[in-house]
Amino acid sequence: MIKVEKLHKYFGDLHVLKGVDLEVAPQEVVVMIGASGSGKSTLLRCLNFLEMKNQGRILIDGKEVDPATTPLNEVREHVGMVFQHFNLFPHMTVLENVIEAPVHVKKVPKAEAIKRGKELLEKVGLGDKGDVYPEKLSGGQKQRVAIARALAMEPSVMLFDEPTSALDPELVGEVLEVMKGLAADGMTMVVVTHEMGFAREVADRVVFLDNGMIAEQGDPETFFQNPQHPKAKQFLSRVL
Amino acid sequence: MTSFFENLISTFPAFMEAAWMTLRLTGVSLVLALVIGLIFALMKVTGVRWLGIVYNGYVGIIRGTPLIVQIMWLYFGITQIVVLSAFWAGTIALAIHSGAYIAEIFRGCIQSVDKGQMEAAESLGMKRALAMRRVILPQALKRAIPPLGNQFIIGLKDSSLVAFIGITEIFSLSMDNAAVTFKQLEFYSIAGLYYLAMVAIVTFVLSRVENRMDTAK
Repeated sequence: MIKVEKLHKYFGDLHVLKGVDLEVAPQEVVVMIGASGSGKSTLLRCLNFLEMKNQGRILIDGKEVDPATTPLNEVREHVGMVFQHFNLFPHMTVLENVIEAPVHVKKVPKAEAIKRGKELLEKVGLGDKGDVYPEKLSGGQKQRVAIARALAMEPSVMLFDEPTSALDPELVGEVLEVMKGLAADGMTMVVVTHEMGFAREVADRVVFLDNGMIAEQGDPETFFQNPQHPKAKQFLSRVL
Repeated sequence: MTSFFENLISTFPAFMEAAWMTLRLTGVSLVLALVIGLIFALMKVTGVRWLGIVYNGYVGIIRGTPLIVQIMWLYFGITQIVVLSAFWAGTIALAIHSGAYIAEIFRGCIQSVDKGQMEAAESLGMKRALAMRRVILPQALKRAIPPLGNQFIIGLKDSSLVAFIGITEIFSLSMDNAAVTFKQLEFYSIAGLYYLAMVAIVTFVLSRVENRMDTAK
């Protein structure tokens, strides 16, 4: 589904990603964890070309994506993204947020997009909120709308960039529930998070980044019970 | 004081005609200025280098020189090449002038929209132009309304400077009357009253627009 080979990323002189190799299989849920500054968010954003790699290869659905020659908007249609700060469009209602891209990018007939949009809002538990503006919603509700908005493009993979980090603690659960539902439906997911409970319960594979490299990866059971890398041990002792 | 009111009343029909000219000058020039400002602001935010240079040159020259000089450039410069009435020379000069300030307003408002908005739009597969039109501009234009209102009022009063290329609007009419009657203070005060009234109307309309935009989102 996604394949990353020897990915390097610099911000000026700062070497953020130092040769990352990563493969994500269809229907796999990969959770990336690591200390802040380890490069996990940058890696995720590279997968959607919101950050441009400096070296290495990124393959989506088996095809290499070269930003110079591939229209990135077409690649992004198949790669959904959920942001830490939701980034809902404040001048549109919840339903308008959800149908915006299907109608204007995919050219889905509006009536059909509305029908599908309402189903998606139902799915994330916000069927009654279609006509309100985002500012009236709680953080957890906003993030669920953002998930519905990304799903409306019927992506083949969903990227989550710390989706619960900006939420009040009591609102984290409702967003994680929606994400668990997606994983259960077989969605391919790459999730950057600090929610170790989610990683343990939902991930097929945990990837631990340290200093711009993948220091350790494996199934969550083994990783959390018996981390090998000293930095992973240190990290887990602090967060668990 | 009685002569002031007598003068105010006796010149009322002529001043109403002059006020209509001021409003036309202002209205047409500001519509053109909005178009110019939006085009230049969009050029600037593309990040394309040479477009940025063109923008900086335009804004730099216009903001760096007095409006009266720009009016003279246009009236005596352009009219050597193309035939242009004083009205259009004045209108275009005012439009180019306000356009620079409006471009700065639009640029600032576009850049003030959180960058996460463009990222979200792009992550949904929208091209930059579509994202600009559907996501960024609606938010930016709403924020632009208060500073634009301010600029409209400045534009209305700045239109008085076209008096010097022979357009009969409020200021030139009061100059003529002052010269003939030697009642300078009275006639420039009358001009001031007309501007005050017009600015009051514009201010009222703008406040209504602002209120409506706030509730409508």
